[in-house]
Amino acid sequence: MAYTGRILRVNLSSGKAQSEPLNEKWAREYLGGKGLAIKYLYEELKPGLDPLSAANKLVLMTGPLTGTIVPATGKLSVAAKSPATGTILDCSIGGHFAFELKYAGYDAVIIEGKAKQPVILSIAGGKVRLQDAVACWGRGAHETELALQEAMDGFKFLVIGQAGEHLVPMACISSELYRQAGRGGIGAVMGSKNLKAVAVKGGGGVVVPDIRTFMAAINKLRRENTMSDANMWVYTDGTPMIVELTQTTGTLPTRNFQQAVFEDWEKIGSEALKKVRAAKKACFACPLACGNYSRTGRAAVEGPEYETLALCGANCGIGDLEAVIEFNRLCDDCGLDTISAGNTAAFAMEMAEKGIYDFGLRFGDVAGYLKVPALIARREGIGADLALGVRALAEKYGGKEFAMQVKGLEFPGYEPRGSWGMGLAYATADRGACHMRAWPIAVEAFGEMDPFTAEGKAGLVKEMQDDNAAKFSAIFCDFWAVDGETQARILSAALGREVTAAELKKIGERIYNLARLFNQREGFGIKDDTLPARIFNEKLPGGPSEGRLLPREEFVKILAEYYTLRGWDEGGRVTGAKIKELGL
Amino acid sequence: MKALTFHPDKCIGCKLCHLACSGHNEGQFNPRLARLQVTSCYTRDGLAVSGRTCNLDLACVRACPAGAIAEKKGRLKFNLEACTDCGLCVSVCPNQVIVEKDRGVGVCVQCRTCAGWCPTEALTFEEVSN
Repeated sequence: MAYTGRILRVNLSSGKAQSEPLNEKWAREYLGGKGLAIKYLYEELKPGLDPLSAANKLVLMTGPLTGTIVPATGKLSVAAKSPATGTILDCSIGGHFAFELKYAGYDAVIIEGKAKQPVILSIAGGKVRLQDAVACWGRGAHETELALQEAMDGFKFLVIGQAGEHLVPMACISSELYRQAGRGGIGAVMGSKNLKAVAVKGGGGVVVPDIRTFMAAINKLRRENTMSDANMWVYTDGTPMIVELTQTTGTLPTRNFQQAVFEDWEKIGSEALKKVRAAKKACFACPLACGNYSRTGRAAVEGPEYETLALCGANCGIGDLEAVIEFNRLCDDCGLDTISAGNTAAFAMEMAEKGIYDFGLRFGDVAGYLKVPALIARREGIGADLALGVRALAEKYGGKEFAMQVKGLEFPGYEPRGSWGMGLAYATADRGACHMRAWPIAVEAFGEMDPFTAEGKAGLVKEMQDDNAAKFSAIFCDFWAVDGETQARILSAALGREVTAAELKKIGERIYNLARLFNQREGFGIKDDTLPARIFNEKLPGGPSEGRLLPREEFVKILAEYYTLRGWDEGGRVTGAKIKELGL
Repeated sequence: MKALTFHPDKCIGCKLCHLACSGHNEGQFNPRLARLQVTSCYTRDGLAVSGRTCNLDLACVRACPAGAIAEKKGRLKFNLEACTDCGLCVSVCPNQVIVEKDRGVGVCVQCRTCAGWCPTEALTFEEVSN
């Protein structure tokens, strides 16, 4: 059936692995993916634990549709307590790993403890092994995965680079070289467990009720909905298309968010990328193929995605596409999140500009910039400091007012002063500044809604957060704009029981509140739901958002309205009534 | 005869063809039971895309000692009752697209379900010369 009903629990300290039944009650209440991973962590993690200790757990969670032919369901949720923020952290990674795990017979893997020395966890044919990884420890994610791929036929992998090994709080987990579970230091959690890679090979299949009818309905949906004009930008352009949208709306972070338009935007925009595109590449079961395999004379990468173009391009004052491609490749190989790495480089550049501290980095200087990823990943030279990330760097040297982060997670590529809803989205995202929990800019700056007003933003962000929480738990990719009704129809057909859009909405709200409860337990509250002073105090100097800021009193108003709509108290705490209502 | 043909330059590596084939012919989504083999992965030399499909070479028909595989109007027919599970067809198939099952084998019947799912027309039905 859609779920395998089995979870694999591996303790790296004892070297023991055991299969246990999936908690079916939780699967109904939280679906899978993001929600179910958070539920397991909420129940199993002791409050206050050190995210880099053996007590943290790493959860790899599939969804009910993983392994079926439903489009854009290829992602895997990877979750733990975040070493960057201390909050709950769930990431999603594309590629082909999730399906392989399902075909290997598991809905999820929960990894506990810490291995005595570097290991690779391999899962295949009902056998779980810990292989010695001493030989590949110290190597990049690319070299590691390519060597494993050559040695282990038919397996799919999750790997870390040097950044994960060195417990860098912006370390990511990679798969198929260029796909990442990027944010919040999820790769450092893997590194803290001495886990260099997870390898999985399936053999089984996934069954749904009345498969021929199911396939006919899904194929029609694929043609008429997934591959309709609303989504085909993913195939024709992919996320680089957003460069033009942010540039023309004055929301493209430039020179550490000092500006919101970049004079060289066209050099790093979608049309420039199309000229170096060698191929399109998809995740499993996805006809939209967001991946752009880009190749220039010097560098090749699948990407860069919009976030990388914005934060490692415009935000570092770099308008040289080949340099951004190379920076992207270096981050992928070292196992670094490009969003946080780009922000950190940009912050260091502004520190020099302001005379706070000089790491030798300058806006627009390619040579210094290209040295950053390897140094951060190994904590060498300036990397020893830069690896701290923006918040800790500011605490050490100063510049807090322009340290662009929330709860310790660096800003994604959308300027909140040019789209106020994004400010609330960053402030209230469960893992710190994140654009994937809610993306209100789509209807504000990119759409019809006034971007420079508090009105309507609280409700918009709340609805988007709840919708996405459910969507990422059923595991539909962000890039398929599939509505709740359609999601419910697909889930009903795959699960053989009725799931309604209203139920999905409720599940999304439940998940968002559970994540909030996790963070509340860790001491987070209204004091943490805020933005760097730059957003409140500094007017944007030019472009379509010229003269704009997000006045603090407006932000406070939106936040208060948001808490009210959420049914939380004035301190942003989940109330007993809400806990009862959602069955938490 | 016309047979399934793979165009690597168009393939995005989504594996919908594998899912469609196994779903339609085996009643489950299991890419390893697909009667074609398409791979797209990054190697040291960059993105490598390759694919193998049944081109009606008919080596299996010639090799089968039990007459369990026959060709009729451009389609392979498999007779489970006649099959002795000797595995010869699997080993002689030049495209390695015959799937060994617990009992019997899966041969491509040119049903074109995979092509119907391919989002980029990387699988088409073309005249082949054997």
